[in-house]
Amino acid sequence: MQANPTASRAGFDVTVAGRRAECDGGGPIAGTRFATREEFAGTLTGEYVDHGDPPWRWYLMVNLVRRPDGYPSDAVWCESGNLFFLEE
Amino acid sequence: MPKNPLHTKLCDMLGIEFPIIAFTHCKDVVAAVVNAGGFAVLGEAMHTPDDIAADIKWIRGRVGSKPFGIDLVLPASAPPADTLEKLLAGIPEAHRQFARSIKERYQIPDPKGAQALHQWGGLNQEIARKQLEVILEERVPVFTSGLGNPAFILEAAHARGIKVFGLIGKTRQAKREIDAGVDAIIAQGYDAAGHTGPIGTFCIVPEVVAIAGDTPVIAAGGVTTGRHLAAALCLGAAGVWTGTVWLATRESDSDMIIKEKLVAAASDDTVYSRSVSGFPMRVLRCPWTEEWEKPEAPRVLPSPYQMLLSSDYIQGANDHRRADLMFEAAGQGVAFVDAMKPARQVVFDMVEEALATFEGLTGEVSDAG
Repeated sequence: MQANPTASRAGFDVTVAGRRAECDGGGPIAGTRFATREEFAGTLTGEYVDHGDPPWRWYLMVNLVRRPDGYPSDAVWCESGNLFFLEE
Repeated sequence: MPKNPLHTKLCDMLGIEFPIIAFTHCKDVVAAVVNAGGFAVLGEAMHTPDDIAADIKWIRGRVGSKPFGIDLVLPASAPPADTLEKLLAGIPEAHRQFARSIKERYQIPDPKGAQALHQWGGLNQEIARKQLEVILEERVPVFTSGLGNPAFILEAAHARGIKVFGLIGKTRQAKREIDAGVDAIIAQGYDAAGHTGPIGTFCIVPEVVAIAGDTPVIAAGGVTTGRHLAAALCLGAAGVWTGTVWLATRESDSDMIIKEKLVAAASDDTVYSRSVSGFPMRVLRCPWTEEWEKPEAPRVLPSPYQMLLSSDYIQGANDHRRADLMFEAAGQGVAFVDAMKPARQVVFDMVEEALATFEGLTGEVSDAG
């Protein structure tokens, strides 16, 4: 483990840029001890952020063609382990 | 002599007597279940790293060298950082008015203090990493990820002797995590409390078993009785993940009003609703969920707007212990929660009923006793 195990680093991954994908997402619900599942589909920009070490990689997805009812943005950060490429 | 049908590969992996996992937010339940021969996982998603470390120490002081687990809700998606600020700019007046009308109609008292809206909402990966650091430093026997894929932490965890379980709601998630090397996969069906997958327990479990190979599969969602345990093993599971049943145990720190509601509830007294937080989750029905289902109700707002609306109801109800208003997350298995028993009795009752079920099917008495 590195000295600062929670530091984050941004980058660009050309191998995923422009690829369409689905994200089985979700997270804890603020104000509660519960969580929720959320599904997204869209296009990856290639931008990523690695949180900590070992790196916990998150990709930016835009042009969402599927998102939860009421989701307030046209973009979402997706954890790499929960991304499924549509071309596979 | 017939084999003990309750002795599974999960028992061998964890060194436990019964393949029953209790998921709970109460340390006392963890200690009771572990000491009764089962396995228990403490939900710590909302806790600070210091609190998690203290809880681990507390549990170790009561279970000795017996294994237990800690659960964190690793986020799997997050909106861009500026979205929350935009959201918090205002709640539509029509929605405020609807919430006020519910408050007036049900005479909901004001909260006694500031609303306990925790800021940790999974939007900050740094907090999750700090929580994980405690898991690694403390070498907790088992880490379970209650939502996101724990693949990124597997190597570090295994290097410290920590087993990692992943909880999934879809088969493709299970395959991804099994391929990454998780030690067990928890297949959670739609019957479950809180956040659930879209597939029923009776289908998701054998689907995941079919692709799991040697990785133990743990059945979750509606599992409450020994018959559920026996059925889960028949589906190919190596154990069960249970939640709602522990809320009503004597050790549980749930309010007595909630315990009484759980004991009285039937399966259809739960509802899969977005009205509490803006996110879908299964909870006990209450006036708040009922009102937001009515045709005249405005469209439920996204998070965190809806949570800001509902928090006044929730805290007012809890602070003043209004039995007609209070609710809790609960799975459909709540129908089988019919008494406030000691946690160890729940374990033993499940075991006894499961064995009786197998003996009824086979006509043979197992060597479990």
